[in-house]
Amino acid sequence: MFVDARQLPQDTEVEADICIFGAGAAGITLARALGGGNRSIAVFESGGYDFEIDTQNLYAGDVIGFSYTPIDRDRLRYLGGSTNHWQGSCRPFEAFDLDDWPFGLDVLEPYYRQAQQICQLGPYNYDPQDWIDAEARPIAGSSGDSLKSGLFQYSPPTRFGTVYRDDLAAAGNLTVYLHANLVGIDTNQAASSVTGVEIACLTGKRFRARARHYVLATGGIENVRLLLNCTRVQKSGLGNGNDLVGRYFMDHVYVPRAATVLADVSSPEVRFYDHHVVRGQPIEGILTASDEMRRAKQMPPFYIGFRVPVPAISELGMDRLPAPVRKLLGEGVASSIEYYYSRTASGMQLPAKWLYEKLWRTPPGTFVTCYCSGPYPDPDSRVTLSDTVDALGLRQARLDWRVPADFVQDMHRAHEQLAQLLGRTGIGRVRIESSETGYDPMQDVVNAHHHMGTTRMHDDPRQGVVDRDCRIHGIGNLFVAGSSVFPSYACDNPTMTIVALALRLSDHLKSLTS
Amino acid sequence: MNHTRRYLLACLGYAGGLSAGGSPWGRRLSEALPAAAGVPDHAASSLRRLLDDRTHARQLGADYRARFPAESDPEVLTRLILDAVAPFDRSPRQLRHELLLPALHRSVRAEFGAGTTVQVRGWILALTEARLCALCA
Repeated sequence: MFVDARQLPQDTEVEADICIFGAGAAGITLARALGGGNRSIAVFESGGYDFEIDTQNLYAGDVIGFSYTPIDRDRLRYLGGSTNHWQGSCRPFEAFDLDDWPFGLDVLEPYYRQAQQICQLGPYNYDPQDWIDAEARPIAGSSGDSLKSGLFQYSPPTRFGTVYRDDLAAAGNLTVYLHANLVGIDTNQAASSVTGVEIACLTGKRFRARARHYVLATGGIENVRLLLNCTRVQKSGLGNGNDLVGRYFMDHVYVPRAATVLADVSSPEVRFYDHHVVRGQPIEGILTASDEMRRAKQMPPFYIGFRVPVPAISELGMDRLPAPVRKLLGEGVASSIEYYYSRTASGMQLPAKWLYEKLWRTPPGTFVTCYCSGPYPDPDSRVTLSDTVDALGLRQARLDWRVPADFVQDMHRAHEQLAQLLGRTGIGRVRIESSETGYDPMQDVVNAHHHMGTTRMHDDPRQGVVDRDCRIHGIGNLFVAGSSVFPSYACDNPTMTIVALALRLSDHLKSLTS
Repeated sequence: MNHTRRYLLACLGYAGGLSAGGSPWGRRLSEALPAAAGVPDHAASSLRRLLDDRTHARQLGADYRARFPAESDPEVLTRLILDAVAPFDRSPRQLRHELLLPALHRSVRAEFGAGTTVQVRGWILALTEARLCALCA
C-alpha cells in the first residue's frame, strides 16, 4: 500500500524486515521482488506520485570540473525516479565488461533475462545477425576487423512508477511511504551495524524506522550524499573509512556529431546503425570495439551509431538564451529551459529523417556518427559535499566529473577504424570532424546522465565500498542498490544492469531473512 | 556544415559511383592533359577520367599535394597510382575505362583493408584515391 508520510503522526516508529530508500528502477525492482512474501518491506520515497519542485530542489548541488548538466535536472525525484525521463535503450554487459567485477556474466545473465521482461523488451537476443530484415542488416565483418556490430533494444520506455504502481499497492507485505526523505542513519559505536534511520518530510514532520536490513537505492549521487552526511560515528562519512565513497564517478562521454559519413543511399548496412524497428521491436545497431581490441585493452569501451545530420544546437546558436532573456527569467529557469530544449532537439532524429525522406523521396546519403565512450574509472572523478545545506539540513552534493585527456584521440582512432571498415566494404567514407573541418565536436560533448561507480563493488575494502553482495564493507546490515556499485562500465546504458543487480540483491536478502 | 550531399558525392564518387553500380551523378570530363614522362602517354588522362567532377577533387588534391610535396609531380603521381591499379600491364587496352575503374575499386578496398589510408580535410581516403585527386589538382 501507499502511505503519505506527511500524514503520519509525529515520531512514528516504522518497523520492517527490510527498509529500502528510493523508488526508482533499483528500489522498485527490489520491492517487487521481495513483495508478496512473509517479510515486511518498507520503501521510503522522497517524492510523491508526480513532479514537485520543492522535492526536486533537494537534488540541487554544484558542478565543478568538466562541464556537466545540472545535477538537479539529470535526475527526477518522485515515484519511478529517473525512469520517468529515460530514453529506454537497453543492452546487457558483455563478458569483457565484467572483468573488473567480483563475478562474471554467468552469474548476472539469469537476472538479465528477468530484467529483459521488466523493461518490457523483446526476446533476450542481442546478436545482430538475428535482427536482419529487408531494409537493414549489419556490416559483414571479417576476421581481423577492429570493430564489430552490436545492438540496443529500446524499452517503451518503462516508467517504473506508473507501470508497477499497482504491483506495489497490491503486495500485502509492502508499504511505500511517499514524501519520506532519509536524513540520518544511526549505527552502533563501532559503526558495524545500522540501528535505525531518521526520516523527514518537507513539512517538518520527522519519524524513525528500524529494520533488520537497510538498502540505499537513491542513485549514484544521492547514495553518496547520504553516506557522507552521516558523520556522527565515522567522521569521514558512513562506510568511508578508506576514502572511497564518492570516488570513481563515471558517466558516458557522448559526442552527438563526431564524424560525417558519406554512404550509398541504398545501403541497408547504414540503416542498421540508426534507430529502426524489426518485428515490432525498436532497436539500434551500434559498432563497438572487437573482442580482440577489448582483450588487448587498446581502447576504452565505446560505440558508434549513425544519425541523420540534424544541425548541432551550438551551430544554430540556440544553446543559450539571449542574455536579456536569461536575466529576466533568472538563472535557474533559463538553464532549465536550455537543458530541456537541448534534450528535445537531440531527439529530433526520427522526425528529421522522416521529413527528409518525404521531401526528397530518398533516404539521406549523408549521416553523422554519434560516439559514446566509457573511459576507464578515475578516482579523482568524484562526488563530495559542498557547504550549502538543503531544506532538510543535509549538505548538498558537489560533482567533479573528469574526462580523460586522451578522449579525443581515442575517438579519432575509433573513427579511423570505422573509415577502414566502410572503405573496405565499399559502403562509404568518413570525415572526422575537428576545428580543421570547421566544426569541433568537442564543443557539443555532453554527459549521458548515467551516474555510476561512486560506491564501487570490490571484495577488498581498500578497493571498494561494497562487497560482491552489495553490502557496505564493515556494516553488516547496510546495502546499496543501483549503478553506484558498478566498479567499471561499458558503453551500455546502465538501467538493465541496475535492474539485474537489484534482482540479484533481492535473492541475497531473501536468503538472509528466510 | 560547409558541404552538401551533392558536393560530397561528386567529390568522392568515381565514374561508376561508390558502389559497383552505374554513374548516378556528374558529367565526365575528357580534357586531355600532357602525357607523363616515364609512363604511357595516355595514362594520366585515363586516370583523370575516373573522377567525374574534377573541380571538387582538386580541393582535396591540392591539400594532399601540400602535405606530400614530393608527390606533386604528375609523373610521380601517375606512376604511383598505376603501381596500385595496373602494376603489370599498362597497355592502352588495360587502361581502358571499363577495366581501370574496377581495378581502382579493388585497389581502394584493399588499401582500406590494409590500413593504407591518408586523412585529407578530415576525410579518410585510401592512398590511391587521394593521389587520384592530387593528379587532378
